[in-house]
Amino acid sequence: MPVPAHHIVAMPPPFDAPPYPADVFAGQTVLVTGGGSGMGLAMAKAFAQGGAEVAVMGRSLEKAEQGAQEIAALGVRVHAMSCDVRVPEQIAAAFDEAERALGPISLLANNAGANFPVLAEDISANAWNAVTRIAIDGTFLCSSEFARRRIAAGLGGAIVINSAQYIWTGFPGDAHSAAAKTAQATMTAKLARDWAPYGIRVNAIAAGFFPHATSTAGRSEDMTASLPNMIPAGRPGSIYEFGWLSALTCTPLLGGLTGQVILQDGGESLRRSLRNPDFIPPRERVQGPWGWQ
Amino acid sequence: MGWLAGKTARLVGESPAIAAALTAQGAVLVSEGDCDVLVHVVPAPADIPAHEIAFEQWRATLDAGLDQRFLLAKDFAAARRAAGKGGAVVFVGAPEQALGADQAAAGGGLGNLTKTLGVEWARDGIRVNTVQTHERGKTLGNLVAYLASDYAAYVTGAVMGVGLDD
Repeated sequence: MPVPAHHIVAMPPPFDAPPYPADVFAGQTVLVTGGGSGMGLAMAKAFAQGGAEVAVMGRSLEKAEQGAQEIAALGVRVHAMSCDVRVPEQIAAAFDEAERALGPISLLANNAGANFPVLAEDISANAWNAVTRIAIDGTFLCSSEFARRRIAAGLGGAIVINSAQYIWTGFPGDAHSAAAKTAQATMTAKLARDWAPYGIRVNAIAAGFFPHATSTAGRSEDMTASLPNMIPAGRPGSIYEFGWLSALTCTPLLGGLTGQVILQDGGESLRRSLRNPDFIPPRERVQGPWGWQ
Repeated sequence: MGWLAGKTARLVGESPAIAAALTAQGAVLVSEGDCDVLVHVVPAPADIPAHEIAFEQWRATLDAGLDQRFLLAKDFAAARRAAGKGGAVVFVGAPEQALGADQAAAGGGLGNLTKTLGVEWARDGIRVNTVQTHERGKTLGNLVAYLASDYAAYVTGAVMGVGLDD
């Protein structure tokens, strides 16, 4: 069903009107993990709109380079790199490479993640390890590599983490990601506390659904069309408003903000009714309209 | 820039930093009547052990931190609906667990009220968010101005702090 005409849907300003000056990050470099596509690319573009140089890190160099081209079109210097965020030595090497190309990295956006709906009993050890370690280990390893460099330089910095709106409720049918995204959010508060003495801020966005080229909306063909009316806000998020909030937390405008997890999901995770549709175990709805196979 | 250009905002309660940020972002502050934005600030109650809290203080904290907030937001939402326009409510107060049992109750109630009203009024285009913090400075002002603005159009039902001890 489309959103009824008498409902009011709150809309953001257009992409070319970001919520901070074009030089708010002037002279700074951001490293964005998983920055070649999707939500990471949106983060990278938002930092670029504030004048940051952008190091784009991805598993696939080709995808990172494609994203970097789009970011460069916003008028900033970019550098694309390949890196597996589960491997500490690769992270250190990637930071070295990015700093040689663009200068000291003073901002970090942790976005790298993998996610796909799957029944818990069908998650192989490999799949479990991939999803949880990219998000949990990757966020920890990239953040601590960043912090060690900033502490050694005697300089502060800011980190933002892409978490998810299902971190407080669980996500039946997505067990690996449910664990992984909550771990990112709970480490946010502790990282912020450990690094506050060094002027390094850490915040996370509990993001809702921001459709992009590689997002999963379920199997049925009308799923994307039915999304707006499913969400209390009356629409899925525009991916650039996620990028903006991520970057905004790193600006001096919110210079005292740290250890926070900000929900940005149009109310999606807060839907609840006195009565709901019958409960169907994920195993029994895999083939149905809410399924994914 | 001007996150709130063209918007009217009513600030109930004392916060020079929030008033300054709303104005700096282009909002026109009004003291009564229909407006686009309602910001409701309640000062932190005294920190007293539960067994020493007088009933009068208990009631005063719940009244200011929860009851009056709900009633004010309800009137604001009604006026917005009557005007056929959306709007934004931002509640500002002390952290939930940092003070006495009165604040623990009022703050927790406010948090879940925020989540509820954010969904209940979503299709009226009315967003509801809460900042519970010790912070009184520029970051609080800017965060509230952001939440009040269309830049936060996809943020509703969010409850957050500002600093480590919030």
